[in-house]
Amino acid sequence: MVTTESIQTAYIDYVLTEGAQPKSVYIFAKQNEMSEEEFYRFYGSFNALEQHIWGDLATKALLEVGTQEIWPQYTAREKALSFFYAFFELLKSSRSFAVYSLSKQPKGLGSPVVLDQLKTVFDGFAGEILNQGLESGELSDRKYFAKRYKDALWVQFGFVLNFWIQDNSAGFEKTDEAIEKGLNVTFDLFERSPIDNLIDYGKFLYQNGGIKEKMGF
Amino acid sequence: MSDTPKEQNSIPTSKVQRSAKFVKTGFKIGGNYIKHYSKKLFNPELDKTELNEDNASDIYKSLSELKGSALKVAQMLSMDKNLLPQAYVNKFSQSQYNAPPLSGPLIVQTFKKLFGKTPEQIYDKFNLKSTNAASIGQVHQAELNGKKLAVKIQYPGVGDSISSDLKLVKPFAFRLLGMSEKELDIYMREVEERLLEETDYELEVRRSIEFSNACAILDNVVFPTYYSELSGKRIITMDWLEGKHLREFLQTNPSQQLRDTIGQALWDFYNFQQHELRAVHADPHPGNFMITPDGKLGIIDFGCIKEMPEDFYTPFFSLTSTDLLSNKEETIKAFRLLDMIHSNDTPQQVEFYYNIYKQMISLFAKPYITDRFDFGQTDFFDELYGFGEKLSKMPEFKQARGVKHFIYVNRTNFGLYNILHELKARVKTDTYKPHVVLEY
Repeated sequence: MVTTESIQTAYIDYVLTEGAQPKSVYIFAKQNEMSEEEFYRFYGSFNALEQHIWGDLATKALLEVGTQEIWPQYTAREKALSFFYAFFELLKSSRSFAVYSLSKQPKGLGSPVVLDQLKTVFDGFAGEILNQGLESGELSDRKYFAKRYKDALWVQFGFVLNFWIQDNSAGFEKTDEAIEKGLNVTFDLFERSPIDNLIDYGKFLYQNGGIKEKMGF
Repeated sequence: MSDTPKEQNSIPTSKVQRSAKFVKTGFKIGGNYIKHYSKKLFNPELDKTELNEDNASDIYKSLSELKGSALKVAQMLSMDKNLLPQAYVNKFSQSQYNAPPLSGPLIVQTFKKLFGKTPEQIYDKFNLKSTNAASIGQVHQAELNGKKLAVKIQYPGVGDSISSDLKLVKPFAFRLLGMSEKELDIYMREVEERLLEETDYELEVRRSIEFSNACAILDNVVFPTYYSELSGKRIITMDWLEGKHLREFLQTNPSQQLRDTIGQALWDFYNFQQHELRAVHADPHPGNFMITPDGKLGIIDFGCIKEMPEDFYTPFFSLTSTDLLSNKEETIKAFRLLDMIHSNDTPQQVEFYYNIYKQMISLFAKPYITDRFDFGQTDFFDELYGFGEKLSKMPEFKQARGVKHFIYVNRTNFGLYNILHELKARVKTDTYKPHVVLEY
C-alpha cells in the first residue's frame, strides 16, 4: 500500500543518500515499486512533496502541544513558545533532511518555497493565538500594526530556523535560548508598552495643547 | 554585609544594592551591543574589538565599584590582585539573580528533553510559576506521594555563558589593571573551575547526598532529602524545607539563645567540613540557609564545594595556633609554603610580609584562639575591615601573592564570620578544631 507516509520516507531516504532530487518521478516510482500514477495521486511534484513534509511536521507539533493538559491555560505568548519548542524538538529527528531541503533554496528575500505549506499551517495557528491574545487584552490592539503581528512571528520563526541550522551546541540548547529570548522580546513589543502611552500622550497634546494653532495649521 | 554605618555610606552593602549595580551594567552592555550593531549597519567591515572593549570596561567598572564591600574578604588576606577573580565570583553569583524567569513552555521542554515526560506526568502536582530564584536557575514547588518537593531548574546555556564571559573580559581586565595575564591565570582558572562545577547539577546531587550524610552527626543541622532518580543535568528534585531565610529570621527578633544555637550549628557545620572532611560548602551566602520552625539550621545548595589539599590545609590552619605563630622561623616557612612569601623576595621584603601577614593571620585566628567567641562584638569586625582597607592601599600588595586555594577558603571563612556577626551569635569555637603541626 502506498501512503503519504511511505512516499515521504522513501523520498527523504533518497535525497539524503544521493544528495539530490531523483531525476524523474518515473525513476523514483520504479525504485519504490509503485506506479507514477500512485505518486501523482498524492503529490504533484517533488517540490510539493517537500512542502508537505514541512507542513506535516508543523501539524504534528501543533497536535502534540494541543494534547498537553496545561494548553488551555496558556497565554498567547506561552502557546507560541510551546509550539516553537515542540516543532524544533520534532525537527531534530529530521535534521539532515531539513538542512538538505533548506540549503538548496536560493538565498534571498522572502521565505523559501519549500516552507509554503508550513507557512499556511503556521499562519493559521498564529492568527488563532493572536486573536485570543487581542481578545483577552494580553496584546495591544494597534491600528494597522495588529494585522502585521502574524508576519513578525513568521520572521521570528525564520530566524530561529536559521539559528537552529547553524547551532552546534549540545542538545541544541542555544536554540532553546534563542526561542525563549526572541519570542519574549516579540511578545513584549505586542503588549501594551510605553510607546502606546507615548503615542496616546502625543495625540492628547496635539488635540488639546493648542499645538495646531501655534504650528500654524 | 557588615552593619558598621561608615561602610554603608560609601559602598553598596546589601545584596539588593549590589544586584542593582549589575542591572546597570547589564543595561550598559546591552547598549554596547546596540551601538555595535547600528554601526555595523553602515560599516559591515566593523569587527568586534570595540564592542568587547566597551563591555570589558563596563563590567570592570562595576566590579571595581564593588571591590570595597563585597571583596573585603580577599583584601583581608591582602592579595589585592586576587580581587579580580574574587570580583568574578561575586559578579556571577549576583548577576544571575537578574535573569528573567523561564517561561512555562521552556520548563516543560526541559523536562521532556531530560526525562521524556512533562512535569505533570512526573509529579502529582507541579507549579509552573517559580517560587524562588536560585543562583543559576529557579525553584518550583511540586508534590509527589503527598510529599512537598522543591524542584530546581537551571537556565539553559549558563555554562557556556560563564566561560565565554570570562574569556571575553579577561584580557581587557588585565590590561586595565596593568598586570600580566600569566600572573593571574592560576587564580582565574580556579574560579572558572568552581563556577563551571556549579552548573553541573548531576555533580551537585551526588555531593549533596554525600555531604548531608557525612554531616548528619551534627546537632541542629538539617538537610533536605535529594532524589537522584528525579534529577539530572539541569534539574534537581529535593524535599521542600519549611523555614525562614536568615534576614526574615532576624526580623522576628529571635532570642539570644536561639541565635546562639543557630550560630553554633553554622560554626560546627563549617568547621566539621573544613577540619574533618577537608572539603567545604564554599558559598556561605545567607540565601543558602533556612531556619526551620523548630529552631534548626537548614542547609540547601551544595553547588560550590572547595576541596582543600593537604599541602594547603596544614600550613594554613597551623598558623591559627599561637604556638606556631610565635615561632618566627616556622611561620616564615609556612608563608613560603603558601606562596605568601616568594623565593625571590629580598630579606627586607621577607621581613615586611612576615610582619603584615602575621598581624593579619592573628586577627583571622582570633575566634580559634579562645574556646568561646562573641561574634556580636563590632570591634573585631571594625579591626578586620580597617586592616583590609589599609592593605588595599599599600603598593606592596599590588602583586599577586598566595596559593589559589585562598580565594575560596577566604570567601568561606569571612562569609561565615559575617553571617555569625549578623546573627550576633556567641559560639563555642573549640568543637571542631583545626589539625595543626608545630613545625615542618
